[in-house]
Amino acid sequence: MANQHFLQRIRHPKVYLTLIAVGVLYSIALSVKNPYWGDILTMTFLFGALSLSWNILGGYGGQFSLGHAGFFGIGAYTSTLLLIHYHINPWVGMLLGGVLAAVIGGLIFYPCFRLKGIFFCLATLAFQEVMKISAVHFRGLTGGAMGISLPFKAGLANMMFQGKTGYVLISLTFMIFIALFTLAIERSRFGYKLVALREDEDATETLGISTSNCKLFAAMISAFFAGCLGTFYTHYSSLVDPYSVFDMMLSVEFVIFAILGGVGTVLGPILGAFALVPIDALMRGYLGQAQQGVSFLAYGMLLTVAVIFLPRGIMSWLSHPMSRLIETLSGKRTGSESEAGRIETTGERPQQISRPSEPSAPILELAGLDKSFGGLKVIQSLDVVVREGEIVGLIGPNGSGKTTCFNLITGFLDTDGGKILFRGEDITALRPSNKIAKRGIARTFQIVKPLAGLTVMENVIAGAAEKSHSIDEARVKSANIVDLLGLWEYREVKASSLTLGKRKRLELAKALATDPSLLLLDEVMAGLNPTEVEEAIQVIKRISTRGITLFVIEHVMKAVMSLADRVVVIHHGQKICEGAPQDVIQDKAVIEAYLGKGYQYAEH
Amino acid sequence: MIGQVIINGILLGGIYALVSLGLTLIFGVMRIINFAHGQFLMLAMYATYWLFQLYGVDPYISILIVVPLMFVIGMVAYRMIIQPIIDASEMTHVFATLGLNLSLQGIALFLWQGDFRGIRTSYSSMPIHFGALYINVPRFIIFLCAIATILALFLFLKKTYTGKAIRASAQKRVAAQLMGVNLSKIYMIAFGIGIAIVGVTGAVLMPIYEVFPSVGSLFALVAFVVVVLGGLGNLGGALVGGIIIGVVESVSGVFIAPALKEGVYFIIFVIILLLRPTGIFGKAVIH
Repeated sequence: MANQHFLQRIRHPKVYLTLIAVGVLYSIALSVKNPYWGDILTMTFLFGALSLSWNILGGYGGQFSLGHAGFFGIGAYTSTLLLIHYHINPWVGMLLGGVLAAVIGGLIFYPCFRLKGIFFCLATLAFQEVMKISAVHFRGLTGGAMGISLPFKAGLANMMFQGKTGYVLISLTFMIFIALFTLAIERSRFGYKLVALREDEDATETLGISTSNCKLFAAMISAFFAGCLGTFYTHYSSLVDPYSVFDMMLSVEFVIFAILGGVGTVLGPILGAFALVPIDALMRGYLGQAQQGVSFLAYGMLLTVAVIFLPRGIMSWLSHPMSRLIETLSGKRTGSESEAGRIETTGERPQQISRPSEPSAPILELAGLDKSFGGLKVIQSLDVVVREGEIVGLIGPNGSGKTTCFNLITGFLDTDGGKILFRGEDITALRPSNKIAKRGIARTFQIVKPLAGLTVMENVIAGAAEKSHSIDEARVKSANIVDLLGLWEYREVKASSLTLGKRKRLELAKALATDPSLLLLDEVMAGLNPTEVEEAIQVIKRISTRGITLFVIEHVMKAVMSLADRVVVIHHGQKICEGAPQDVIQDKAVIEAYLGKGYQYAEH
Repeated sequence: MIGQVIINGILLGGIYALVSLGLTLIFGVMRIINFAHGQFLMLAMYATYWLFQLYGVDPYISILIVVPLMFVIGMVAYRMIIQPIIDASEMTHVFATLGLNLSLQGIALFLWQGDFRGIRTSYSSMPIHFGALYINVPRFIIFLCAIATILALFLFLKKTYTGKAIRASAQKRVAAQLMGVNLSKIYMIAFGIGIAIVGVTGAVLMPIYEVFPSVGSLFALVAFVVVVLGGLGNLGGALVGGIIIGVVESVSGVFIAPALKEGVYFIIFVIILLLRPTGIFGKAVIH
């Protein structure tokens, strides 16, 4: 697909429709001569661009910053001061301002990312207030509350123009550029990682993805664009002052446009700005005195109503008709393309690796593992060895510490004592947990953690993103896995609307996509009906023949008996038995642990 | 002089505590951060102002009218805006109430324009002297009001059936429902009470503050700081948090720079958030 010729690409409706839309926008921009409308267009495009830059972090990454005006302000002040004091060209100043905004954004956001939801909002809001207060106070640098005026010098190099057309064109170009950039992110491996962490951070970490790095990267891109736009705004209004750039209302507006249009989409923020900015400007024109009140009221009511009744924005109305239109225009092309993708991928079957008859090298060693929750010892000096290529079952009554054991291995809990070795290397203290996943340990969760808002295919691509070299490779790999697990016909279905059985398989598919050498399965059979259990057994056998070692928690004895080479039984966090499945279920200690003392002489 | 600065800070803290109480109550009970909290305060202040201007009602007497009024407004707002989204995500709560915030500001701007409006009473700047130190009477009354409100709220939550139902719902939503608590009614009452406390605040603030459409944002930002500092949902924490922020603001205003005093408590706020997001007193919810 990468080497597709330009002329071939342009025939795709998505491409030519975009080009037509861009063409229409530029012709509108060029034809408007009236300064009043020119101003409205400039502000619309500017806010579209700002909302898009917020959307990279807030929409795709799910980190709702309420302090984004801060970066807008940093950019505005940086280029202005550079211009006034050092006569640095505003275009250069713009980039420097963007870089500074990105750096400060990184420094601010990095510690804030550990905060969730509302606390993150409040912290970003507080940082922005601190910036405003500082800008007002440090008069020598910033001109205080009065701000700094820019001398007017027309010319493209000075980012200032006679009339509005120049500003309209530049703001439109910014908006389109950021939209295309967003589109590129959306289709990249980074984009998949970003939306994955938005849906579920823990699940994303187990895919070997460093959620904190992804968030930081998104934050810096987002702050960079906001900073650049600050420079443009300053030159447009030829004034920068703390109350207009570090304004909380401004930060809120970036978010409102995105929410109204559709958070986490390319078109959403643009649509939101197109819908609201002109209305606001027109009201200002016709309502006069009472305008501000009415405009606040309208904004506020729209926001509340949109959040309550249209939580996914205007895009939730448009996305379906749009994809239908594109399908109609392209005929069957899109459908056959993906079918072709499938055939191409299913062709490459993994080579069968014969199961070793002799004991192979240990892949996972738990040595004297201890874990307590308060006074309760959940894991007590547990020793387990899992060998390369094996399927090892981990069984025990409820509350015996099985899932805790997995959480210790995958770094979700810290051990109190003992060691965890993976291929001979100590991974006991390896953190954050994505590093463990990156070494090749994948897991599923007992209570499944699908990336609920994404489709089956997107879920699996997110899993493949870290270990693949390109997005195309990740797609091919994912198609292969989705097919292997019998999810092909559900590939376009949202994970949230799958049945439990399918979700459990998706959980497996995501884990497999990370190319693990050791796979920890936590009760993938629980809650499945007998047919599904049978299917799952076959799937696990297929996975094992790919040479992946399996360490499996399971209550469904039928599965344990037919799958496991060896079974480890734990009770109260201690290993009470280990051996071949047939031997283990006859062991007195095991029967006692499951059924109680009275049954120790029970016949089979 | 330092003594006076601290007294001023403690009295200011009383104001902040009173503003924050409703916010922390509402969060504690239904896990909603009300971004329109300050705008309810603004409405209460306007109500007090107009009662004084049109009918000559003394601000302290107007508590009797403003508090029931705000209670009703709170319950209506709950029914219309909060209830439909009570089970939605936190961000939905934030932006729905932020929308309400803008709408209320819009209404105020439309009806009463952007003017600053204040009330002059005979006691507005009355001091009580203790040697070299003095206490401003209206501020002292606010402080007493804050303490009285907290005590009344504690008694209400401990002794009455409704109070117990509110506490039960705060502990475990589903369990309370299974015990026969009518959750939406209890939430509506709790929200109403939270806004009624804002009514008290608005009335007692009018003798010393001026009201204008965006006055709420001023207080709401501080209230967030106080509430996080004291632990979200912790009523006693709101009082202590309020006093800490009041003293910090007062001291840094004198010893650092008046313009930077808000910056100082925002920085403290961020540090507390990052180091101890449950507040300095830990996660004490309404028990």
